[in-house]
Amino acid sequence: MKPNHTTITPNSLIKWIGIFAFLVMGFQMAGFAQGFKVTGTVTNNEGEPMAGATLLEANTAGVFTNEEGKYSITLSGPNASLLVSYLGYQNQIIPVEGRAVINITLEPAIKSLEEVVIVGYGTQRKSDLTGSISSVKSAAITRIPTASVEQALQGKVAGLLVTPRSGEPGQGAVLRIRGTGTLNDASPLFVVDGMLLDDINFLNPNDISSIEVLKDASSTAIYGSRGANGVIIITTQKGKAGSARFNFTSYFGNQEITRMIPLANGAEYAQLTNEVAINENRLPTYDNPEEFGEGTDWQNVIYRTAPIRSYQLSAQGVSETMDYHVSANYFSQEGILRGSGFDRLTLRINNGYQLTPFIKFGHNVSFIATQQEIGPGIVSNAYQADPTVPVRDSLGNFSNTTINAPVGNPEAVLFYNNNHGKGIRTVGNAFIDIKFLKNFLFKSSFGWDLNQNQGKNFVPVFYVSPLQQNQESRLSVFIDQSNSLLLENTLTFDKDWDSHHLNVLGGLTAQQFRFENLGGQRLNFPGETDEFLFLNAGEIEGQTNFNNAFEWSMVSFLFRTNYTLLNRYLFTATFRADGSSRFGRENRYGYFPSFAAGWNIAEESFLQNQKLITRLKLRASWGKIGNDKIGAYAGRAVVTSNLNAVFGPNEELNNGASIITLANPGIKWEETSQSDLGFEFGIMDDKLVGEVDFYRRITQDILIDVPIPAYVGAANNPVINAATVMNRGWDFNLAWRDKIGKLSYHIQGIASTVYNEVLELGGGKEEIFGGGLGVGGKLGTRTVVGLPIGAFYGYQVEGIFQNESDLLTYPTRGEEVPGDLRFKDVDQDGVITTEDRTYLGSPIPNFIYGFDGGIEIFNIDFVAEFNGVSGNKIINSKKMARFGTPNFEATFLDRWTGEGTSNTEPRVTNGGHNFEMSDRFIESGSFFRMRNIQIGYSLPESFIKKLNISQFRVYLSGTNLWTRASYSGYTPEITSSSVISVGIDNGIYPIAKTYLAGVNVSF
Amino acid sequence: MKNQLFIKSIKITSVLIFISFLSACNSEFLEKKPLGQLTSDNFFQTEQHAIWATNAVYNHLRDWDVHVFSYIALTDIISDDADKGSTPNDASFLNEIDNFTFDAGNLTVNTVWAGYYRGIFRANLAIENIPAIEMDENLKSQLLAECKFLRAYYYFKLVRWFGDLPLITRPLNSDEYNQQRVPTVEIYALIEQDLLTAIADLPEKSQYHPTDLGRATKGAARGLLAKVYLFQGDFVNAEKYAKEVINSGQYQLLANYNKIFTREGENSSESLFEVQQVALETGGGGSQFNEVQGVRGTPNLGWGFNRPSDNLVASYEPGDPRREATILYVGEVLPDGSARVEDNPNILNERYNQKAWVPTHPGGNGNGPGNIRIMRYADVLLIAAEAANENGNTADALLYLNRVRARARGASASILPDVTLTDKAQLREKIWHERRVELAMEQHRWFDLLRQGRAASVMQALGKNFVPNKHELFPIPQTEIDLSSGTLTQNPGY
Repeated sequence: MKPNHTTITPNSLIKWIGIFAFLVMGFQMAGFAQGFKVTGTVTNNEGEPMAGATLLEANTAGVFTNEEGKYSITLSGPNASLLVSYLGYQNQIIPVEGRAVINITLEPAIKSLEEVVIVGYGTQRKSDLTGSISSVKSAAITRIPTASVEQALQGKVAGLLVTPRSGEPGQGAVLRIRGTGTLNDASPLFVVDGMLLDDINFLNPNDISSIEVLKDASSTAIYGSRGANGVIIITTQKGKAGSARFNFTSYFGNQEITRMIPLANGAEYAQLTNEVAINENRLPTYDNPEEFGEGTDWQNVIYRTAPIRSYQLSAQGVSETMDYHVSANYFSQEGILRGSGFDRLTLRINNGYQLTPFIKFGHNVSFIATQQEIGPGIVSNAYQADPTVPVRDSLGNFSNTTINAPVGNPEAVLFYNNNHGKGIRTVGNAFIDIKFLKNFLFKSSFGWDLNQNQGKNFVPVFYVSPLQQNQESRLSVFIDQSNSLLLENTLTFDKDWDSHHLNVLGGLTAQQFRFENLGGQRLNFPGETDEFLFLNAGEIEGQTNFNNAFEWSMVSFLFRTNYTLLNRYLFTATFRADGSSRFGRENRYGYFPSFAAGWNIAEESFLQNQKLITRLKLRASWGKIGNDKIGAYAGRAVVTSNLNAVFGPNEELNNGASIITLANPGIKWEETSQSDLGFEFGIMDDKLVGEVDFYRRITQDILIDVPIPAYVGAANNPVINAATVMNRGWDFNLAWRDKIGKLSYHIQGIASTVYNEVLELGGGKEEIFGGGLGVGGKLGTRTVVGLPIGAFYGYQVEGIFQNESDLLTYPTRGEEVPGDLRFKDVDQDGVITTEDRTYLGSPIPNFIYGFDGGIEIFNIDFVAEFNGVSGNKIINSKKMARFGTPNFEATFLDRWTGEGTSNTEPRVTNGGHNFEMSDRFIESGSFFRMRNIQIGYSLPESFIKKLNISQFRVYLSGTNLWTRASYSGYTPEITSSSVISVGIDNGIYPIAKTYLAGVNVSF
Repeated sequence: MKNQLFIKSIKITSVLIFISFLSACNSEFLEKKPLGQLTSDNFFQTEQHAIWATNAVYNHLRDWDVHVFSYIALTDIISDDADKGSTPNDASFLNEIDNFTFDAGNLTVNTVWAGYYRGIFRANLAIENIPAIEMDENLKSQLLAECKFLRAYYYFKLVRWFGDLPLITRPLNSDEYNQQRVPTVEIYALIEQDLLTAIADLPEKSQYHPTDLGRATKGAARGLLAKVYLFQGDFVNAEKYAKEVINSGQYQLLANYNKIFTREGENSSESLFEVQQVALETGGGGSQFNEVQGVRGTPNLGWGFNRPSDNLVASYEPGDPRREATILYVGEVLPDGSARVEDNPNILNERYNQKAWVPTHPGGNGNGPGNIRIMRYADVLLIAAEAANENGNTADALLYLNRVRARARGASASILPDVTLTDKAQLREKIWHERRVELAMEQHRWFDLLRQGRAASVMQALGKNFVPNKHELFPIPQTEIDLSSGTLTQNPGY
């Protein structure tokens, strides 16, 4: 085969970087003319000197104030006008009128009306927004002790469902904005300081300044084909006004499992196992079940109390020509499951350099190093392992737990596990902003995400039992690298005249992504300690290796216009064209427009003479957006190699290869159209603020990885454009904030409803099955028109056949005996057939809510946060997976043992009729949780001032301390990367509850 | 003025950047080819590709879903030859097979269905694409014939397990996924047609280059076709093709029955077709066929499934050495003399399938090197004997039957006397019995019982819950009926 050489950086990108550099150099040489000199001091309304304020004459370069707020500027003449600006303060134009000294006092921008919101490729005043955007401030994020920003967002944004992937340290979360709009990857796009990313695991929550969640088409359409699932824009901390300020924050605490699953103990297991044997016409296994007593609860063996801690030191400030924010953070978390842990070191340097008053250069750069101890997946082992067996036998050897089921001894699994990962990554961007011709801003940004991960997994020689052994030691090592490069150039025109405000943005962007890995394995190592764990120490014979790569690229054109009339009537139009390498030539480009309008009713004259309503706005938007989250080469079938055959007297491998996977060359863009109607208000000087949105989102040509019949014979499921799905619902957001004397308090809440319905299945399909359950991979979800995506599907249990006469009275499948489940004859044809399976519930919650309240009085602050979901169901699939006779959930103890003993829990078996997918395994997924509770105390200012400290706060915090959920598993939050198998619990790593203490010092 | 220069430079650079962007929007930047992989764009172009695609069909014979766990369950364990084995509480879904309590959700039924159809898919890919390749025409027709032999082999198993099947003879287009089952006669017609092509185009065993040992041969195709006819009750053709194998002079019985299942006995003079396996340190050449049936406990060789039944033990004639060659008992010395099988207290009446036993080998237990014997000459002789008896050629029937008995007898003249019966019905019983003991634990028994129409009586006599007109066929996996949107129908009784 011909090697396929492709350079990592395409020439075109290098070319652009060159132009970028030229720009920077060129502008630095720009000089300045001689004329009339003015000096003075700039202060704020409280009389404090303002360093870094910009002073300039129209159409010229300007100067900055120094640390004492002083400036000196040379103007074109004594009749010139001086323009003063400072972020967060009102701009002023001061006629010089011949004065040589002008002292200036800045007035803060009017707070709520001038609140600035980050939008795609720019910022907008909140009052001018026509889209639905929720902002989350840093304080709300840092309260939750986690490495994951995603997890910290839970319950903070109306319309955003956050489900932790698991409780494993370092794991992120699955995010869904306004329901599930696709059967494919439905995760939102992340934009961190302008860099477009699919994951933000690298981010340190403490570095975040604000998060904006873009929900409607008006705000996401500027991201075109990548905006269909919503966009989350994250801005990291920048230097703020004033001289150097240092901040140290730290917390440390402990995590524990929130709950254990009640399991059969030794004696109970032995008893149930005997009953299974009798029900299978076999002899009982145990003569005297009672002798096993309590036995071993393996959950106690694998879970532990685990420490978590974080230290952060940062420095930030603004000087004459530079703003800076530098931070270092160390985060360390051990898992509550033994053998798992995560450490992360983050460095961030966010600097801006005002090269001239017109030209600003800056960068936001982060460096991340992580280390991970990857625990073995033994959540299920502990749940299933034989409880009659001790951890170790009398000789101290690991006991054999594989006699009755192929479930290894969890303690031995932990003991022999040696799996580590580490990674280094840098994510950032460098940008230049050029203001020219008064109304123009040109911005060029080069972003990167360079990521390298390494893994090392060693399996020593060991023998526990025939099913738990390893005969040759084995070391696997891999390195993978990915790099994503993004170049964005935008030009903005912004002009106010009379009662008009016009803002026009145009831009071109290009991105390319490449992934490559390299790894190998050798066997039979001379030692098991760390110094031997390099491939070279193993035997050459039997070594294997691999090296894979993929890449994609994208080019986009974007355009947006905002027009505001009289501050009352707002109009926005956006358009983006995307070209993507993932699609075949015929479908390469996608076009994504949106339109929106808003009405600031509070600005109307009829609302001017009252004080009650401070803010009132109506807005509406419509737009079309796309989703390109499919494999890099989904349009092409790839040849699978290494399908080797053995031939000849010397038994040699003969190379084999074939196209055993399917592809769809006609694959095209998935398109979403979304409408949004919103209403915002602020009452009593914004003490009460609220927002209500109604949205309707329809996704067409959904790309589906559709399970196909096995007789087709392919090794995969092809991706097909084949369905239309609607999501609609309401988002509510309400907050009350007030101060009574020394007491300030707030209470706020979010809530959203989601109604998900499949409108159409294309490609001649009437149904799409999904979700492999238990032994044999039963299909537990069925997606059909009129029901939610991935709806649960199976039999409804009506009771239990109590006796032989019940078997004659009620419809049967033909194999039941007394003690078996009695299914409902849905189609009423007198027998139970597969046609009697029916809708059993949806894994998608129809109501998501969160609220929090806080009080500050004297030097004490207190916050409590709650969140929850309701209306969804879970399949307790781990209970169905009985490959032998593993341990039983305690619910099996309520089994039917004779007439009248139970009408819900059938006689105990390992499979067969009672393990058909039925509502026996369906449980409610609703929960209500106290997410966080925190109490803090700040030392009085009078005391710390003497120590030159501006803030000293200590706090105690508890996370996930209390949850109300009827689900019997570790956690009711069960997710999946495939939307047609969500809510299926096959044994998830439990989430932890955390108690911690922290300190926050600024000086 | 410098100010104007400043503005001008901005204008110029802006224009430059826009131009550079426009040039980036050429097709090159958006044209990304798969890296390090062949694709449908450039595969099936050369002779080498044709060979690779054919080898990939053989490769699938070693798949877990084809010849390992579920395979032994749906051939031996379900029959009167064997019980589930292993410890009583392990792998309950095999108890369902052993006890006839399985339904359309049973794992093993799902597994073989999917596994065999994936094999058919690989064969179809090669058969569809090889003809257009410019290459040596003789090699081309040989490769196509190999693929057709393997396709026939896969279908022949499926049709006997499931009855009517979706008949798929080429890779399906995406609008063809909802298939219906076609009657078994159409399936058999394809099998016969494929095997006739294979007979015409495949070399005899002796005509292959030695390094091709293990590829399908003319003799293998004839033997399989004889069996295909036998299963349809076409004794004339069964006898014809069995005799073609016998008269080809390519095969002879190995003198020592014991040796057939050792490593040296692989590809012996008696072998028509075997799934070729080798244990390499790297893996990739073996399967878990040996491991799942290996001694569970001490010595530590495997999982201990597929336990030879009491009924099989009792079925041998007095002194028949084939019993000891077939069954491995506790206390017995392993065939390579390396150890003695020790009692495992967790297993009742411990016994193992000696025909699947292999000595310690590289790559661990899961990398079994033992070839899986699919068809041997003794099988062909007994097909010929049975067909000849049905066709009234009693002399031939006795000749072939007694050849098999004579080999088994070896040097001990006192056992397994020659059969001299001439009554057709009595001789039929005798041949059936000979098939059982000669081919015991080689995954033939269940199909023979079904073919002979006595699965119900034999299994019911053992107290098994065999329901006539139901258990002759396995259920179509429920997932398949669901995924076909109901175009597949279920077998009766499920």
